[in-house]
Amino acid sequence: MPAAPFVELRNISKYFAKVVANQDVSLQIRKGEVLALLGENGAGKSTIMKVLYGLYKAEEGQILLDGEEKVINSPKDAMRLGIAMIQQHFALVQAHTVTENIILGLVRGRFDRKHYDKIVAELAADHGFAVDPAAVVSELPVGVQQKVEILKALYQNAQLLIMDEPTAVLTPQESDALMNFMQQNTRAGKAVVFITHKLREVMEVADRIVVMRNGRVVGDLRKEETDEIELSKLMVGREIHDRTYVQDSGFGSRPVALELQNVSLREPKEELFRLKNISFQVHKGEVLGIAGVSGNGQDSLCDAISGYRRLTKGKILLNGENITAKSVRERIQIGIGYVPSDRQRYGLIMSMKLTENMFLKRSFEEVWVKRALIDEPKLDAYTTEKIHTYAVKATGPDAVARSLSGGNQQKVILAREVDLGSEAIIFDQPTRGLDLGAIEHIHRTILNEKEKGKAIVLISTELSEIFGLSDRIAVIYRGEILGIYKNRELDTEKIGLLMAGYTPGTAPETSQPCEQ
Amino acid sequence: MNSKLRDFLVTNILAVVLGLTASGLLLLFLGENPLAAMGTLFGSLFRDSYTFADIFVKATPLMFTALAFAFTFQANLFNIGAQGQFYIGAITAVGFSLLLQDKLPGLLVLIIVLVLTILFGGLWGGLIGWLKARFNANEFLVSMMSSYVALNIMNYLLRTLLLESKGEYPQTNPLDSAVWLQTIVPGTRLHSGFILAVLSCIGIWVLLYKTPLGFRIRAVGQGKDAAEMAGINYKTLYVVAFFISGALAAIGGFTEVNGVQHMLVQGFNPDIGAAGIGIAILANGNPIGIIFAAILFGALKVGGTIMGQLSGIPSSITELMLGFVMVFVILAYFVREKLEDNREKAKLKKTTVNA
Repeated sequence: MPAAPFVELRNISKYFAKVVANQDVSLQIRKGEVLALLGENGAGKSTIMKVLYGLYKAEEGQILLDGEEKVINSPKDAMRLGIAMIQQHFALVQAHTVTENIILGLVRGRFDRKHYDKIVAELAADHGFAVDPAAVVSELPVGVQQKVEILKALYQNAQLLIMDEPTAVLTPQESDALMNFMQQNTRAGKAVVFITHKLREVMEVADRIVVMRNGRVVGDLRKEETDEIELSKLMVGREIHDRTYVQDSGFGSRPVALELQNVSLREPKEELFRLKNISFQVHKGEVLGIAGVSGNGQDSLCDAISGYRRLTKGKILLNGENITAKSVRERIQIGIGYVPSDRQRYGLIMSMKLTENMFLKRSFEEVWVKRALIDEPKLDAYTTEKIHTYAVKATGPDAVARSLSGGNQQKVILAREVDLGSEAIIFDQPTRGLDLGAIEHIHRTILNEKEKGKAIVLISTELSEIFGLSDRIAVIYRGEILGIYKNRELDTEKIGLLMAGYTPGTAPETSQPCEQ
Repeated sequence: MNSKLRDFLVTNILAVVLGLTASGLLLLFLGENPLAAMGTLFGSLFRDSYTFADIFVKATPLMFTALAFAFTFQANLFNIGAQGQFYIGAITAVGFSLLLQDKLPGLLVLIIVLVLTILFGGLWGGLIGWLKARFNANEFLVSMMSSYVALNIMNYLLRTLLLESKGEYPQTNPLDSAVWLQTIVPGTRLHSGFILAVLSCIGIWVLLYKTPLGFRIRAVGQGKDAAEMAGINYKTLYVVAFFISGALAAIGGFTEVNGVQHMLVQGFNPDIGAAGIGIAILANGNPIGIIFAAILFGALKVGGTIMGQLSGIPSSITELMLGFVMVFVILAYFVREKLEDNREKAKLKKTTVNA
């Protein structure tokens, strides 16, 4: 068994101005071990590591190094103590050479360039990295830039290397090489923390896994003692015991409202596709659930349907009409509603009043304008009516969005999008972070809209929600749809495997076969 | 909300007091009695109607440059180039007034000149917005540097095309009194440009808070991502916001030329853009607040100049005084942010403890 912990975090809590990022987080990091910090986006993984690295100051809690309490106020302190962190977005000076980046802050006055170039070249060779010390960073591909970051840490002789989502920007081959490096590095007696939301990578490289959800630690396991299914359950939330099915609404006989044909999406300058060849149909009066561990392309899928991002390839149709070329504004006008997962960023303007937020997507509609001015009495009346029908707890239509609780903010968005989305509505994580009352209200709303004959896409990481509301379920993994099933065809076991990337027939040995 | 308003009033009043105190301390170094000096400053404002009216004369262009900053600020953009836009307005005003004053009736000339001022100032400002929208050029730097370009265009024209007939100084011929903005209080310099300024403040307030366009501009400023998701094209709005902003500053140039100077002199009002920023921040970006903030600055300017004349204190001390007030007003903005942040944090801590 490994020795006493090298780093120990005790009861760390970190608040940002408006959210709790970490609450009472305790974990240990040991030498000679790859620790995977697993969790969905926004689970607080990066935050806790940034606290350790001195980028954030925790409100409560202690940091212990070799059993001794330390105060880390800045990355400089952290580096002095042998801790290095590679950010998701690299911290390199683009205009400088590799060597200059590596020795930045560690030399003073004049320095002998050739001498340091040689040291860096040797260091790179030792670890099997093909990096030219004299190359300018801005001209290097992302994968190599990451190696420069790693070399920087190695040059400083870091005992603990923290990597934040290091594989997000890498090709599969580069990822494999990185995993190898991590294992080598720990064999040399150093510690690695690997922040990720990808289960497969965790199973490949980690010795120990700490799972986080909603800013708390929900599991601390050795790899041998667990498998993908348990981890995905921990990550996503509770296990589902009482499954309820929706009534078969006979959607199959109704016409198709929303259709995606071979939709692919790639960010400019990136090699990886965010979405690969996605095709599905949603009928009028159908809820299509899209299940998956978050970060597998759900955001891009929403961007594609809402028109926020142009497709790299493929077509989107609404009621048979090709809408691929339509802008966000046009898609709103033809009746596509969208409830985004990051409601405070994409759904609402937090500093504006409820009336203004209701007006947000309607500012081009002439019915709300009277003699060139916004028809405020009408808008007030409309907002007040919605506050009542959706039971929004607010002081009135003039309340600022920020002053509402999360559940009530979501109800405001719901009220707006349900009215706007006369044909189709996309719900992305509609109940994330909400209390039970609000969740129930939102579920009822979704089913109501389905009854009215709208086509509904429900993206969720909560399996209970997917099972409870969907007519059919599609599973998304790394930007691909791994299959579309009728609700009753899937059970937790099967969907768990799909969510971890295993299509039927390729089930891993670590998982148990379906037992009923 | 209440605590916010309280913060706003307390920090701003404190900022003005601190600014005056700091400049008072400097007076001590000069061997002057600061209290007496301040007494002269404020007392002199009320000595005659000419002086009192001059407060509003000084406030007029300040309202325009402050509006110019405040307007793009609503879209979360920084227009630091009001000075240059002001000069573009002044050049346009003097150029076309001289060109048309003998050919058309005065009032018609004034209207044409106002429209052209808005157009040229708007295009000058709109270019900054376009560069931002098209190339994501930093509007802060572009607008700031555009001021130097405008300044040098003005200097060049004053030595060539617009040079006075005598050819002695880099200045234009005086304007015919037919194209002057009308004096509204006899025996003073107060001209109708002041009314235009106040109306502009009110108009901009209506535009921002009562029309769909203004709403969209504020939406982009306060939540760009949500606005984009709502189908609002922020790039178009960047250009529109900078066009309006540039036009506003340019009108300030027009009112100065046709209302006060009645000619264009090289290097006049060189700090009007910077003062505008301070006023906009003092008013918290509110167009109605700008009316009052500009009048306060106008009073300090007029009183400071007289103080310099009466007490033998170098008149540059008034610039220092304004500078100090402005620095403290800007600091107050950050103090308010910090206070607000702490309050939110405390609230959050309380709720999580109780939960």
